[in-house]
Amino acid sequence: MTTRGELAWLSGFAVIASPCGLAFVLGAGSLVGARLSESTIARLVKWSTLAGLGATLLVLAIMLGTGERRVVVDLGDWVTISRDYHFALKFVFDRLSVPFALLAYTLAGAIAAFARRYLHREPGFNRFFTLYALFLLGMTTTSLAGTIETLFAGWELVGLSSALLVGFSHERAAPARSALWVWCVYRVSDAALVLAAAALHHSAGGGDFDELLGSGLWPHARALPPLDQAHAVGALLLIAAAGKSALIPFSGWLPRAMEGPTPSSAVFYGALSVHLGVFLLLRVSPILDASPALCAATVALGLATALFAHLARGVQTDVKSALSFASLTQVGLITAEVGLGCRYVALVHLLAHAALRAMQFLRAPSMLREAAPRPVATDLARLARSRSSLYRFLMERGYLDLFLLELFVRPFLAAARGCDALERRWTSWLAGAVATSDAAAASIEEFT
Amino acid sequence: MDASAGTSRAVPERAVATGAALEDDLERLSAAIEHAAHFLPAQGPITTFIHHNTLHAFEHLPFETAVLRGRETLGGEPYLSEARQREALRRGRIRIDELRRVLEHDLGTRAYERGSSLGTRIEVRLAMLQHPPRVGPTDELRWHVAETDALRRIRPEASSATREGLVAETRHWALRDLRGGVGRDGDPSGASALLIEAAGPTAEWSGEDGLEQWSDADWERFTLRVLWRVCRDGARAAAVQASPARAPIRHRDALLAATGVDADTLVHDILIRFCGVWLDQGLARRALPGRALGFLASFTRVYGRSRGWLDGRLRGLKRELRRLESERIGALESIRESLATLGVEGSERGEFLTATLLALRGWGGMIRQLEARGAGTSRGVPAGSLVEFLAIRLLLDRLAWADLARRERGGAGSLATLRSAARGVVAASVEQRAFQVFELSQVLGIAPRVLFELSAAGWASVLGEIESFPSLERRRIFHLAYEKRLYTQTLDALALHAQDVAQPAASTRRRPSFQWICCLDEREESMRRHLEELAPEAETFGVAGFFNVAMLYRGAAGGEFVAQCPVAIKPDRRVVEETTAAPVAARRSVIAASWSAWARREAASVGLVTSVVFPRATEWAARRLARPHPPAATTRLRLERDGDDVGFTLDERVAIAERLLRDMGLVDNLARLAIFAGHGSTSLNNPHVSAYNCGACGGYSGAPNARAAALMLNDPRVRAGLAARALTIPDDTWFAAVEHETCTDAITALDADLVPESHRGAYETALALVVRAAARNARERCRRFLSAPLDLDSKAARAHVAHRALDLSQVRPELGHATNALCVVGRRACTRGLFLDRRAFLTSYDPARDDDLAILTRTLRAVFPVCAGINLEYYFSTVDNLVYGCGTKLPHNIASLLGVMDGAAGDLRTGLPWQMVEIHEPARLLFVIETSRESMAKILEREADIGGMCRRGWVNLATLDPATRAVHVYQGGEFRRYHASAAVLPRAETSHAWYRGRRDHLEFAAIGRA
Repeated sequence: MTTRGELAWLSGFAVIASPCGLAFVLGAGSLVGARLSESTIARLVKWSTLAGLGATLLVLAIMLGTGERRVVVDLGDWVTISRDYHFALKFVFDRLSVPFALLAYTLAGAIAAFARRYLHREPGFNRFFTLYALFLLGMTTTSLAGTIETLFAGWELVGLSSALLVGFSHERAAPARSALWVWCVYRVSDAALVLAAAALHHSAGGGDFDELLGSGLWPHARALPPLDQAHAVGALLLIAAAGKSALIPFSGWLPRAMEGPTPSSAVFYGALSVHLGVFLLLRVSPILDASPALCAATVALGLATALFAHLARGVQTDVKSALSFASLTQVGLITAEVGLGCRYVALVHLLAHAALRAMQFLRAPSMLREAAPRPVATDLARLARSRSSLYRFLMERGYLDLFLLELFVRPFLAAARGCDALERRWTSWLAGAVATSDAAAASIEEFT
Repeated sequence: MDASAGTSRAVPERAVATGAALEDDLERLSAAIEHAAHFLPAQGPITTFIHHNTLHAFEHLPFETAVLRGRETLGGEPYLSEARQREALRRGRIRIDELRRVLEHDLGTRAYERGSSLGTRIEVRLAMLQHPPRVGPTDELRWHVAETDALRRIRPEASSATREGLVAETRHWALRDLRGGVGRDGDPSGASALLIEAAGPTAEWSGEDGLEQWSDADWERFTLRVLWRVCRDGARAAAVQASPARAPIRHRDALLAATGVDADTLVHDILIRFCGVWLDQGLARRALPGRALGFLASFTRVYGRSRGWLDGRLRGLKRELRRLESERIGALESIRESLATLGVEGSERGEFLTATLLALRGWGGMIRQLEARGAGTSRGVPAGSLVEFLAIRLLLDRLAWADLARRERGGAGSLATLRSAARGVVAASVEQRAFQVFELSQVLGIAPRVLFELSAAGWASVLGEIESFPSLERRRIFHLAYEKRLYTQTLDALALHAQDVAQPAASTRRRPSFQWICCLDEREESMRRHLEELAPEAETFGVAGFFNVAMLYRGAAGGEFVAQCPVAIKPDRRVVEETTAAPVAARRSVIAASWSAWARREAASVGLVTSVVFPRATEWAARRLARPHPPAATTRLRLERDGDDVGFTLDERVAIAERLLRDMGLVDNLARLAIFAGHGSTSLNNPHVSAYNCGACGGYSGAPNARAAALMLNDPRVRAGLAARALTIPDDTWFAAVEHETCTDAITALDADLVPESHRGAYETALALVVRAAARNARERCRRFLSAPLDLDSKAARAHVAHRALDLSQVRPELGHATNALCVVGRRACTRGLFLDRRAFLTSYDPARDDDLAILTRTLRAVFPVCAGINLEYYFSTVDNLVYGCGTKLPHNIASLLGVMDGAAGDLRTGLPWQMVEIHEPARLLFVIETSRESMAKILEREADIGGMCRRGWVNLATLDPATRAVHVYQGGEFRRYHASAAVLPRAETSHAWYRGRRDHLEFAAIGRA
């Protein structure tokens, strides 16, 4: 039993360590200016991904063999403040995390095989695989996280590598702009997650899911009774999940993320990271259980997103946007399933959807063969105004980007600029007290 | 007037005109728009990719002028970058002696003039070509001088003799003048002051023996410091030439320069989305309601009539659109209004409209193409749409500009005056000019003293000499030398080969075992060569791949009728492929059918994805799972005349057949079996697949044309008609058809069930040879793929290329027309037995049977635009892949089923992707025509298009005299005798022996035993 326990621990550790090592080798290589050849990179990626996948399968086999439903890889407390507070790095293999980690490894592995040829002789070959390693590390960390801090670390890595992959062709302006957009939405979602983590720490003194959510096995865990902030924390987690999973009103980033090379848009946003928000909701589902209002909100958000995305998909005229909205429809449905408490249905739906969508994204350039041009009925009869209003609504993607831009971004920027102007005025006024009055007047004039 | 002039209320009075004057002005405007629209890319929907000259709009100009005009107007590079050219020089692709010859030719008598004290002009230019002076912003040069070894070590490119000479002379000068100068009062030339300054702190050298203590490195440093000071003083003394900066054409440029905000981002966001839905051919499930109303009206409906939320920066759009609608202002009038508001005056209009259209050139060009094509697409575009597009664009532009100006500049100034604020002057700084002399004199070994003694006029000539040879000029010279290498090699091969080969008289020729008639495509060159190596008794011919059957064709799978012929021909005869067996009645419900179609597609893609990850296992599983297919339904082409536009009449078929045979000179000595080989290409996940298909068949596979040609020629009635026209086809001759897949090198027999018993044996023998030749062809192609090992055998090579076509992740399924360089029109004897490295278009033509040049004229009429179009498209996509090509395939996203754009929303990208042109050598096509130079001169004179292309240098031309076997090159309006520069042609026993182990471009060689 002990040796089995040790073996489980070791292989669990390998699941995290192999992408970590890959990221280190590829990243350090570029850092010191040692250029690895394409075939070396491909070999490294192949073996480390296979090692991670194999280790996950081994953990699964041990769990099945021993009947153990929960394997914990605890890397200890990194910060401990008296008894109330500790910061632990901990990974948990259970019924939720193992399938998700397997999914991440399988799809990422397929993409690595794909990208090896797709990016052949491309100048960004090394950069792509470095980001790939970071992304994979982030995905496994998030899915296996046993504490909310660990989850946050992975969450951040996924966000960072995704944004950089969106901006892969950074020599053009559009990808850089889209990457910035994705990054900003991710930051909002990150902020919500950090606040939720802080609130959980405050109430429970630590970020361990088993302490927060009760010690029962997923999905049967029950939230510990005195979780009085369930509403607030749950709402923050829902915002975090909505940002990451492109639910309303954050949906705009998903089609924008389609700037990267096909394989990266395929898995990274279309199939994997877009499900992370749902995964978070699944992970903290005991909190949802504690609050019917939150469940209702989750269902409503999911259904609204699904409906919107389904309609919007119908008017998208480029294949990647169409696929990303199609993807969003399913993500919305999965979210609704989580809200309804159908955990296993949601999990199976998620896995199946991710695999199907990844495949569709990879085949996106074949669209010309598959979609035969269809003639349109020329109805010049009076068109209802409402019909073109709806069309415009969908074409403009529900004005969601505009909504964020006009209601949040611009006021925020204006406020920041106002403060900046105020500060300049102050400083120049202060400077004016010692400088000649003419110059001061001029400089004040300049800023007013 | 404030910046709210973006809206209509502020339209100046002068815009309001009535009656005849208005009509007149609108007409002029319309002409100006039409003219501007010529600069838009002329690429149609990507599903029918037609290669064409990217700079078609400038074809009336000489090539060298046109590429510069293209740079000004379209922003594309004219030649390869200097860095790439210099790299070609390093690896010997460009040779110094050829550079010198090109310069001699280019400069004429001025080559050996001593234009300045730097030396003869040709030496200066050669030095500049080999060692380009560093150019950059002044600050960068200052940094370079201060922080690098620029003032410590003489440039490493200078030979050691030059270096030592420079140092020695400066040392001598210093020891004489510096020593003498110290403490002396009079120093009229300023030499000693200069030297003292360069020598640094006096204490270090003024002492006894100070200078004698200096090491070589000290002297080198001293030399450079003196040189740099001399150059700087000289450049300062010379007059500075300032040229006025180019005024920004569009207000957006001025605003971008002033505020750093690109107003186009906002405008394009809306415009791209709207163009996408308006042009969509069926990618979206829901079509734009009211699309058929036209661009302007449906835009008004969406943004003017319906409810919605608009970006605040485009405030006023709704009001403007409604005003246009209620006042019945047409697109043209609206453009006129916008121009008046923006202060764009008459003479400027052309340039402004061109720049405006080119800002979103992909979508604009697509509208124009569809407009011209009309019914060619399933959802056509009415005439006048481009004007409406432009009207909307200008409307959005002026709203966005007015808003930006208001925001960032506090509303000062009107839109009309916005651009005039941003004019300036550009002039090279002293450092920039001096540095060029500084670097060049190190290489040329010009001592500082020589430069020091120059007068101001002398300096002007030195600077003038250098500045008259700027980067663009250097690239042009490099390019000419780059091409010269290729032409020399090609003409040597053809001239030497022509002397080797004696023409057998027609009467003594034996009847060939079979004849292979394929497309003139350069990818078939290797196929023909391998076939001839395997079957020396066989003959091969090359013709335009539509086999003279111009038709509108619809395959048995259904779909639209497509034009299977070169774009220049507008076919009006429909041919349908029909299944001979009655189709199985499909009576499933629509839902079940679409569900099963979806499921099949998704299931199939599982295999596709696993084949990416586990190629071998998938192949194995596919083999195990494969069950014998039921025989595919046999199909036939309906060629018989039936109704107004279906099929061909007997006379038409006879005429088609006659011309086909006569044009390639196949009028006697027909073999028992003649095979027409159409070619096509299939690969997965490749939006550009049409560009790999047969260009002569309008971007489709040539298989239907090959079938049609064979069917016609096998028809006894057609043969009787031909006999009446003195063209007898032996009774025992059978015409067969096959398809050659250029990507997988698969050979598919077509209409094989029609082959009569008597010919079965010959047919199967010939096909077996063809399949073997195709496998060898695959092996030769594999040398170009880095992922294919160099030691593949034919079988493994066939498997490799077959997998490439099925590999979803493969961005280079085949290399298409890359490396094309040459087009030979003449008998196969001119090229048979030559290894032309898949770089030559080969058209069969027999000069002995063409007394009045009618055949040659019509052949050239067809071949010139097709081959030159392919070549020039590859040229421009290679020299500037971002502007003329469509960049890397990675971010490509299929939009509206019409083309690809970069990422989520962008302009449609035209031209060829980087992966297709990666190994291409950008050089203009060299035509070699087997005819006398007198005949060719006649054709050049008679045919304006062909003559013009040759005279203006878009292609190069040479003739190979059928009688004397002499080669003449067309240069500067006359034919000059070409003498081979090599004595013998390299020879290899087989093609494989010549290319084995090599990946790069190969020299042409003779194949076979001497």
